[in-house]
Amino acid sequence: MTGATVGSINLGRQVPLGLTKQRPPSRFTRLFSLEYLVMGGAIVALFVLVVLPLCFLLIGSIWGENGFTLEYFTEAFSGRLYVQALLNSLILGAWTGLFSLLLGLPLAWAVARTNIPGKPLITLTANLSYLSPPFLTAIAFVNLFGPNAGLINAFSRDVLGLPWLGFNIFSMSGLVLVTVLHTFPYVYLLASSALQSVDASYEEAAQILGASKWRTALLITTPLVMPAILSGVLLAFVNAIALFGSQAIIGLPGRIVTLPTRIYSLFDYPPQYGLASALSLLFVFITIAALYLQRAYLAKRSFVTLGGKGARPQLMDLGWAKWPLFGFCLLVFFIAIVLPYMTLIAVSLSKSWGLAFWKGLTFEHYRFVLFDYDVTQRAIRNSLGLATVAATVAVFLGAIIGWIDIRTHLPGRKFLDYAALVPLGLPGIVMAVALIQFWLSMPIALYGTLAILLLAYVGRYIPLGVRAANTSLRQIDPTLEESARILGASWGHTLKEITLPLMRPGLFAGWLLVFVPVIQELSASILLFSSSSMTLAVAIYNLYETGYTEPVAALAMINMAIIVVAIALARKIAGDGIGRESDKNLTTQGGTA
Amino acid sequence: MAGITISSLSKSYGGRHLRLTAVQDLDLAIQDNQFITLLGPSGCGKTTTLRLIAGYVTPDTGSIHVGDRLVSAPSGVVPPERRGMGMVFQNYAVWPHKTVYENIAFGLKLRKLSSTQVRDKVEGALDLVNLKGLAERFPNELSGGQQQRVALARSLVVEPDILLLDEPLSNLDAKLREKMRGELKQLQRRTGITFIYVTHDQAEALALSDQIAVMHAGRLQQFGSPFDVYTTPANRVVADFMGLVNLVPGRIRSISGDMAQIEADGGLVLVAPRPPEMALGMEIEIAIRPENIRLSATPETFAGVVSERTFLGNLCEYVVVIAGGRALRVQTHPLQQFSIGQNVGITIDPSQCSLFAREPDAVASAA
Repeated sequence: MTGATVGSINLGRQVPLGLTKQRPPSRFTRLFSLEYLVMGGAIVALFVLVVLPLCFLLIGSIWGENGFTLEYFTEAFSGRLYVQALLNSLILGAWTGLFSLLLGLPLAWAVARTNIPGKPLITLTANLSYLSPPFLTAIAFVNLFGPNAGLINAFSRDVLGLPWLGFNIFSMSGLVLVTVLHTFPYVYLLASSALQSVDASYEEAAQILGASKWRTALLITTPLVMPAILSGVLLAFVNAIALFGSQAIIGLPGRIVTLPTRIYSLFDYPPQYGLASALSLLFVFITIAALYLQRAYLAKRSFVTLGGKGARPQLMDLGWAKWPLFGFCLLVFFIAIVLPYMTLIAVSLSKSWGLAFWKGLTFEHYRFVLFDYDVTQRAIRNSLGLATVAATVAVFLGAIIGWIDIRTHLPGRKFLDYAALVPLGLPGIVMAVALIQFWLSMPIALYGTLAILLLAYVGRYIPLGVRAANTSLRQIDPTLEESARILGASWGHTLKEITLPLMRPGLFAGWLLVFVPVIQELSASILLFSSSSMTLAVAIYNLYETGYTEPVAALAMINMAIIVVAIALARKIAGDGIGRESDKNLTTQGGTA
Repeated sequence: MAGITISSLSKSYGGRHLRLTAVQDLDLAIQDNQFITLLGPSGCGKTTTLRLIAGYVTPDTGSIHVGDRLVSAPSGVVPPERRGMGMVFQNYAVWPHKTVYENIAFGLKLRKLSSTQVRDKVEGALDLVNLKGLAERFPNELSGGQQQRVALARSLVVEPDILLLDEPLSNLDAKLREKMRGELKQLQRRTGITFIYVTHDQAEALALSDQIAVMHAGRLQQFGSPFDVYTTPANRVVADFMGLVNLVPGRIRSISGDMAQIEADGGLVLVAPRPPEMALGMEIEIAIRPENIRLSATPETFAGVVSERTFLGNLCEYVVVIAGGRALRVQTHPLQQFSIGQNVGITIDPSQCSLFAREPDAVASAA
């Protein structure tokens, strides 16, 4: 072979640069490569975080002092307390699902398909409602509609003299109201994105064949978006029944005990681990069943997006009818955002909450919670630290697990993917019970430390990390990595130089998606915290339990400020386009708070 | 040297219930310094073969040697990064987060070249593919053809012995494809690198290759020069895939030496070269290329009626119906015009025809 020189490159080299002759490596040596060590580490982590705790939960529910027993399950299915809790949870979920639909769908349709004014306001309402910690909304509404001290109730009773006008928030309807304000965004976001992605040509095709606008909406559009709507309702259901905070704050005073609050009460001395495990499994079964249905519905959605890039939804001119619809949207904005936040601000600034709260406004409560109440600063530090570490770990693990699932043919990778999704069906309190069962039987004392909280957060939110990684990996053509390999880059070098930089926007969205719920996590933390591992949400809940109405509101506002600052910072660091992607992920997954 | 020897290579995908055989019992000896094309319809296993050669895929059976070095066997493969090959992908796979310069320099930096050496080589590579002055651009600021050149430069700059190309021109428009085709051929001649080129476009394969490997359903059908593969296809599948062909059923009437007299449907009688395995009375098919049939306005031994005419610019294509209702496709010089319904004489050049044994089911359906 004669080497021809072209330009300054000698292209006819006979020995490739920097490459030595060698035989194929054996399987044995491959097992110890970086690639397999990292992947193995991720798999082990997933087992420790999710699989083993769940196994211990299962064992704990059927293993009594004298070996195998079904007594816990018998008790869970026959004890009046437990059956009632189950019923209450289902009733709450059903009503919440229904009202989320009634609230979310009109808003989604208005934004996606009509010429209604004020669309940014509606989007803002949905996003803020999703981001607000549900227990804050609950506390705000208690301040307004508590049977005795609630401001509005007091006003109608003492000033108007019309006590029947009052509304007792400590009731199932009160609980549904507070919960819906947090869950309707699921229906809204799924429905509006589906409505927006239906290609207008489907509808135009129906119209050219002679169908009227309403007929088209009924016969073409509705069936296309129905899977997305149903899927949103199921997500609302699953999230509603998992919210510990509002169920404790609203439900317990009204003697409405639900599954999370019943499980919580089983940890009063003496703790009944077996029964708690059995109830937790029952709880898991309900959420998994609902999520399974949700996925099945969502899978059908694929034909909506088939429309491709050219989706130009038709906007319907509502004429005068847009004003009542706009009024409805304003009302939702007022009840979901203005009312709770104005209330919290007013309470936090008032000397003492009551009809004459505006006399003597003060910052005293902020000073108190920030400087005098010794828990706050520790709680803020813990929550910020935990959220940062948990989000980073969840996203990194997610990236590796997503990579294994999408890029390798490793046997059992589908199992990994499922295992990483299971926590979606685990309400926070169940995760906590599982972790307690697991780590109490381990020789390492983790209970009450920050470490167990971190495990709980990473375990619960790893699905969001995996999903974020999967979404962005799917958008990266594998040949981009393959071309690095054939140029001589090792697995690790390719990951560092090509894969991770290309995944960065998606991973950042995932990071934010984990960070925000962790900052406000209450359901799992409430069982796992100790005074040294106090978190912000637990601090607020404890303060509320102790009856400090005004300082609670101040702390709640501080919590909200931290969330807003964190999101703003993250967006600034990651650049634009993050919000959109996180919204999309949120709609298809939805972490339970 | 960088000859490639592939022996009894197989690869199938899928689970226990549905296994898809991508490549089956492939034997191929590729010489150094050649332009080889793997040609076949989509799903024929050509891309899998390429990925097996690159080391992305582990074979189920068989082996691949580069020179005398074993690089792939079911027990393990030398990973792609240790093969010293280059690869150009169908979608170019130019990294969107790196500039043109960074894309091309990537492989050089891995080889620990000094920064001046890297700069010189990148400059040279940009020159080679006519991209001078675009070094600081990002891929999204380049056209498809320019991205393709970046991908080429990136693979060539590390001076591979073997360059693998996976349908690299299929995403370009017709004009540009023609141009790049010429440049690729020139590059291969100048550099002496072994090119292994995957395509489903037989015209591309004919124009570029020293040798074509025609694949179908995971199996190698024929390996030979473009001329051989086109004029003497090894079987019906190859004949059918390499351009247009009329397949006319018939049987062998008599044999004299290397020649056989064939009587085919529609009263065609031909004396054509006989493949050794063909015996008297065998049911066969005759493959006749449309350009090997001549039409005339005067009646000949065979005759037919023009039923369709398509003007294609550089040639004219006719469908001529002969006795028994069989239709033949014929291509003529564009200036040789016949009208629909016209009776025409037909002359077939028997030396350019190929004979294939008819498969049992084809015999049954013809009977």
